[in-house]
Amino acid sequence: MIRYVLRRLLLAVPVLLGVSLGVFLMASAIPGDPATVLAGDTASAEQVEAIRHELGLDQPLPIQYLRFLERLAHGSLGESTRTHREVLLEIADRFPYTLALALGAVVLSTVVGISLGVFAAVKRGGAGDYLTMGIAILGLSVPGFLIALFGIIIFSLNLHWLPVSGARSPASYVLPIVALSLHSAAVKARITRSSMLEVFGQDYLRTARAKGLRERLVILRHALKNALIPISTIIGLQFGALLGGAFIIENIFGWPGIGRLAVQAIFNRDFPVVQGTVLVAAVTYALVNLAVDVFYAWLDPRIRYS
Amino acid sequence: MDRLLRLIPIVVLVVSACAQAPASSAPPVTKVGGAVTFVATTDPDTLDLHQTSNPVSSTIFGWIYEPLVYQDLDNSYKGLLAESWMVSSDSKSITFKLRKGITFTDGSPLNAEAVKFSFERLQRVGAKSPIFETFKNVTSMEAKDELTFVMNMKEPYAPIFHDLQVSYAGILSPTAVKAANDNIGRAAVGTGPYKLKEFQTGQQITLERNPDYKWAPALFQNRGAPFIQEFRYRVIAEPATQLAALDAGEVDVLGLRAQDLSRYGSDARFKVFDSFTFGLTYLGFDAKRPPFDNAKLRAALAKAVNKDEIVQVVFENKLAKASCCPIAESIQGYDPKLKEFELKYEPAKAKTELDSLGYKPGADGMRTTPEGKPFKPVLYTSTSDTHGKIATLLQAQLKAVGVDLQIKQLESGALLAATPKAEHDLYLNGYSWNEPDMFSLFLSCDRVTSSNRVLYCNPQLEDLIKKGRTELDQAKRMQIYFDAQKLTMQEAPWQPLYMPVSKTAVNAKVQDLKQGQAGGLYWHDAWIRR
Repeated sequence: MIRYVLRRLLLAVPVLLGVSLGVFLMASAIPGDPATVLAGDTASAEQVEAIRHELGLDQPLPIQYLRFLERLAHGSLGESTRTHREVLLEIADRFPYTLALALGAVVLSTVVGISLGVFAAVKRGGAGDYLTMGIAILGLSVPGFLIALFGIIIFSLNLHWLPVSGARSPASYVLPIVALSLHSAAVKARITRSSMLEVFGQDYLRTARAKGLRERLVILRHALKNALIPISTIIGLQFGALLGGAFIIENIFGWPGIGRLAVQAIFNRDFPVVQGTVLVAAVTYALVNLAVDVFYAWLDPRIRYS
Repeated sequence: MDRLLRLIPIVVLVVSACAQAPASSAPPVTKVGGAVTFVATTDPDTLDLHQTSNPVSSTIFGWIYEPLVYQDLDNSYKGLLAESWMVSSDSKSITFKLRKGITFTDGSPLNAEAVKFSFERLQRVGAKSPIFETFKNVTSMEAKDELTFVMNMKEPYAPIFHDLQVSYAGILSPTAVKAANDNIGRAAVGTGPYKLKEFQTGQQITLERNPDYKWAPALFQNRGAPFIQEFRYRVIAEPATQLAALDAGEVDVLGLRAQDLSRYGSDARFKVFDSFTFGLTYLGFDAKRPPFDNAKLRAALAKAVNKDEIVQVVFENKLAKASCCPIAESIQGYDPKLKEFELKYEPAKAKTELDSLGYKPGADGMRTTPEGKPFKPVLYTSTSDTHGKIATLLQAQLKAVGVDLQIKQLESGALLAATPKAEHDLYLNGYSWNEPDMFSLFLSCDRVTSSNRVLYCNPQLEDLIKKGRTELDQAKRMQIYFDAQKLTMQEAPWQPLYMPVSKTAVNAKVQDLKQGQAGGLYWHDAWIRR
């Protein structure tokens, strides 16, 4: 297993280099260079040229990319063209907030999604099933930003329970996490339901019941554990989506995360920050998916990696 | 005994009067305290005032740093860190006498060396600063003695005092710069009424009152330290969230949109302040290449533009005022006599002139070029909601005279890059610059590859621009800008549209806040009711 994990980590290196090259090329293709944006609308052509030179943007593209790789090899993602701070520092300031949001949403959506899915599967064909799946469809169809705005109106403006924006207190985490997790919870509820229904027909469940085990134990210990494999795949995949989707929620709630940082960096043509945030997101995504693969082996001892 | 008893009220009166009289610089104890939270739409990129042109940063600089001079309500320049100044007979040298006893918030004294250090640093690293070009005209600087600073220029430069009063021209503490190893993006130290307390990336910047501040300008009744203990800038990008935060009391100050005015204007929890801003929005034509290199065609289209309708429909007659002339009403150099040269809304005349230029309407009523091709000029503008609405309205107004206007909205970075390449036919944007010398930034030949986004170059105007920059006699200078505006209005590289009006809602807990100059609010006398 350790060899497998190491191999996966090594394989991630060329993937990340590919990602960095892709982002670099895309960034270069965006109209409007960083020097023009930084100089502002009153700058002279000489000012723009001086900034371009200072940032090394007057160098050919391959040289610029090689310099980026050189810095990367020294453990640096470069300096933000906008703030003049190390990109790693910029990301370190913000990444914990996005991670907290994404992890909170993963936990909440997993708990809610699996609970609803199991409930719907157990009550298959009944009112509980229809009601639960109705809620899930609502969660899938209503966009997160709408939930966020309704949440602000109800819980912040009318009830005064929660703050409107920022990340200054534990209470300020509630609305963003709920808004971010609803769609994901709905997906997990539907997957859990169908996965559980598949497992319900298996012989080992009949055996468990025949042994006289309580229904609760049969569902939780035998059915759910076996139904978790497709669900854990979804959890891994959705973690990446949550990282990406956090931008809208971060924007609405004035959340100081990397989603907002990345978009602001694109508008400012702050390419070192764009590259840095994409790389960090890619590394996180790769690590989460590796963790999910390792989790498979725990769920199903028949799965072995060599 | 009777005499003694009669004296009691007098003694009480004198004692109470003494107790109430505030010390000359110390504010009354009861007024000090509280916090005011503003909205910042983005993070300030850096608090190094030589390394940015970011407007959010600039607002914060205004609290932390102070320039040598400030602009009074009557647009005249008064001393802030400078007590007085003298301009040499050839107008190429200015000698500033600094105020005595001013200290930076790190305790080091403000002196001529500090001023020299700040401006030399601006010359060295300030390519991103809006006043970088100004200091290219400065040949040498000298700290003659502790409080005498001399600035020598290549040629006389009339807008120098404007450029020295902007927040980017603040003086920074050399001690602090050296201590931070020149990296002052988050270690800003100036002489201002507030100092940086905390910079929480992506969330909030907190400034705290400088208790040692005692050199406030004569604009204010309070000449000592400010009353409000903290100013906070909370980063909220989303307009709906900004309004919700204002309603919830999480922020105290917010610029309003037209659609929000009626709601907040009648809400007793807020006071709404309004004023003009130093700027103007215009419709420009790419004057460098055909067909809009033809002044007659530009003028014909300008006459099809109904500015009043734009002000009414887009701004509900509240957040803008139609402008006649290139220099906005709020800026020195505006002259109402210029109204007679305005290209007014005359659609019938616009049609006749287009006909005579060979742009004839086809069977569908839309015009073709003299060569018989469909006439479909392309308007470039930003992706802002306001610009989108104006562009749509312009499209309808031009359609009424048979011109099929195409709209291309670009994100601001892409728009800045597109205009020097002359990809556009028409251009909708604005400027914000409180000096008639805005001509040299936006309409001079030197800037056709950069900030002159209509690529207009006229030797006659160029001559006026150069004269305006060097003429120090105020009356003569204003006449030069009168002529420059008249010429611009006749040649029509721009059709001025409107001057924005700012309306700001402020939480009613703030007392004695005064309306400042063009869009600004004067906070130095303000205090928080608790």
